[in-house]
Amino acid sequence: MHKRKLGIVDLTKEKVTVQEVPDSLRRKYLGGRGLNMHYLLKMLHKGVDPLSPDNVLIFGTGFLTGTSAPSSSRFSVSAKSPESMILGDANCGGFFGPELRYAGFDRLILLGRAKKPSYLLVNDGSIQIRDAKDHWGLDTNDAQKSIRQEVGDCEMVVCGVAGEKMVRFANVRTGVKNAAGRGGMGAVMGSKNVKAVVASGTLGIQIANPEKMLDYVLELKEYLMSSKITPILGTMGTPLLYEVSNALGAIRTKNSQLNQWSDSLDAENVHKFVEKMVACADCFVHCRHRNTLGGEGPEYTALGLLGSNLGIENTANVIELSNVCNDLGLDISSAGTILAWAFELYEKGIIGDKMTGEALRFGDFELANRLLHMISRRQGFGNDLAESTQAAKLFGEESKDYLIAVKNLPQSDPHDVRYIKAFALGIATSSRGADHLRSRPTLEIFLKLPLETKEKIYGKGVVTDPSSYVGKEKAVYFSDNIFATIDCLGLCKFICHGFNSPHFLKYEHFSGLIKAAAGWDMSEAELQEIGKRVIDTERLINIREGVTRKDDTLPKRYFDDPMPLGLAKGHHIDRKEFDGMLSRYYELRGWNEDGTVPEARKAELEAI
Amino acid sequence: MERGRDSARGQKGRTGGDLTKHIYMHPELCTGCRQCSLACSLKKFGENNPKKAAITVIRDEFRRYEVPLVCMQCDDPLCVKMCPQNAVTKVDGRIIRDKEKCIGCRFCAVICPYSAITVLGKELVQCDLCNGDPMCVKFCATKAIEYLEDTEELLRRRRDFVEKMLFSSHYLVASG
Repeated sequence: MHKRKLGIVDLTKEKVTVQEVPDSLRRKYLGGRGLNMHYLLKMLHKGVDPLSPDNVLIFGTGFLTGTSAPSSSRFSVSAKSPESMILGDANCGGFFGPELRYAGFDRLILLGRAKKPSYLLVNDGSIQIRDAKDHWGLDTNDAQKSIRQEVGDCEMVVCGVAGEKMVRFANVRTGVKNAAGRGGMGAVMGSKNVKAVVASGTLGIQIANPEKMLDYVLELKEYLMSSKITPILGTMGTPLLYEVSNALGAIRTKNSQLNQWSDSLDAENVHKFVEKMVACADCFVHCRHRNTLGGEGPEYTALGLLGSNLGIENTANVIELSNVCNDLGLDISSAGTILAWAFELYEKGIIGDKMTGEALRFGDFELANRLLHMISRRQGFGNDLAESTQAAKLFGEESKDYLIAVKNLPQSDPHDVRYIKAFALGIATSSRGADHLRSRPTLEIFLKLPLETKEKIYGKGVVTDPSSYVGKEKAVYFSDNIFATIDCLGLCKFICHGFNSPHFLKYEHFSGLIKAAAGWDMSEAELQEIGKRVIDTERLINIREGVTRKDDTLPKRYFDDPMPLGLAKGHHIDRKEFDGMLSRYYELRGWNEDGTVPEARKAELEAI
Repeated sequence: MERGRDSARGQKGRTGGDLTKHIYMHPELCTGCRQCSLACSLKKFGENNPKKAAITVIRDEFRRYEVPLVCMQCDDPLCVKMCPQNAVTKVDGRIIRDKEKCIGCRFCAVICPYSAITVLGKELVQCDLCNGDPMCVKFCATKAIEYLEDTEELLRRRRDFVEKMLFSSHYLVASG
């Protein structure tokens, strides 16, 4: 069977239920992020405290996770976010997703709260709740090593001490670097007294047409490997994007007071610290750096948010901070944004020594390192910072003017979106708050891309000038939809059409892979519909939590402060133009002018 | 497989033909993705299962290594020599396992100097080089596994590899 089971674990009652998932439902959402959203819409009640037993925590693998399909390592972790208080959903690679499927499960739903620190052991169709006392109190690397000593060969997701202490941006980690990073899913694990979910399995995934699958994946491998971009991704990884953003004058620097920073963080300099490039499960691209400082990474996000945004130039220092965040199980995007916010607030005198306990300043590696550790333990001022954007309640109303976040989620993209308007719309409308992996139409960054290429991907009416608002809703709409579909399939966005390349895998390829793997005929149109269905379902969840049109906005600074440096100098977001672009985006989605989903669509999705 | 059983009857050790191509592994290039294992299990069993493949990537992210492990097609294979049922034979230079004769004692897996034979439940999986066209090699994106003629150049590379293994701690992390 290609299909696996759904495990529902009631931690309070210590009860495990194993269910089949009907194919009719899988045809609507495939798996991964999509099915997670379906279950959140059904099972999560309005307004619950995300750190209470009432939250619903879901680990869901994609339709193709663990198969020969290229870059099919991925799974999604979803719950109500304790950081943004709306939808929380984070996607992750590594080896856990495939292993969960080999252990017999597509998806686990965790309810309630365990009486004592526990972990789940999933093995060939069974789920056990086990005592985690020997692993509690360990950070993410040690916890994984410790659990492997107890269990033997296995793959797992864990939270660090930060998760146990319910730091609002504690993430879910697997391996040395992979993280379901965003929205504090690690804090939700901690709130449920769950240290880890461990999988070990021997159950192969039956493929409907093995020969076709072998031939087709080989064909896709050749297609992907023949691209000019693949070898660059495989040697430089995401750090190459730092230089691209920096050259434009669009790298977030010192809490977006500046927009250009040192070339010491260019990919070429980062590469000096690479020992070997490694891959997630099933991936030909191998974009992960095993660094010489004992960890993996850094990603572009870390270079920007722990480098330029904190005013740190030294390459080794930035890699070190990235390693520290990973080991502590802190989301790098939130950590770098929140620290920089606090630094500027201190500089401006909005917060003072009485609160911080010491002087805060940009460019101080030791200070940043110390604060990260204090956040993970909720010590001193770290306890305030651990509240993430909700620390605005402590820092005062004025502090909100300097917060680089949307819908209370700190911005993940180190790219300052004041210049590229499609990026701005993307982070404003992303269903989990300010995040680029929902809809970033990266191609907008390549200034020389011909109009025909853009029109072919996004449709007529998109202009090439990245700083123009014209037609940019189409670029976001296209990307939002295809990224949602790829998140349902369990494939990585790195090989997704329109993300890093004007080529790579499109709906027709997804169709071919689904046919070979499961024998299902799914048209390109059906697959597009799945992406749209996921976005609408997410919107319904968010509307239930109180999200309205006024939340689809940007940090105040992006509207009011023109960018000071470089090519992007003088650019900012015009409120009226932005509003028009937002309305056009709603129109494409078929949403109402106020950002709500039409009743008929709501009824249709709720009936699934 | 049928042909193998007939022609291989009574053959032992070096008598299995003159294979001039072998699988070569380069752990320093292996990214740990396991596409090789997935391709193998898909070809042999119609399923994606890295634990049911003749080639296995032994990896540990924390101890920082990835090493593909597969049958080396020894010239004088212990698995052939020691099988009490003569279920393992060398045909045209390739090691072939006769499922009918195999009694599942797993002795071959135990004595294999490379531990290159996969045991999963009652299933024993050993590389037969896919009739001279190994699927795993095609799926490797970095040429960490290659199927090559045994030329002098390759012999040199073997020596380099072995010496690196013996004299540097890069590959052998087990003692660390």
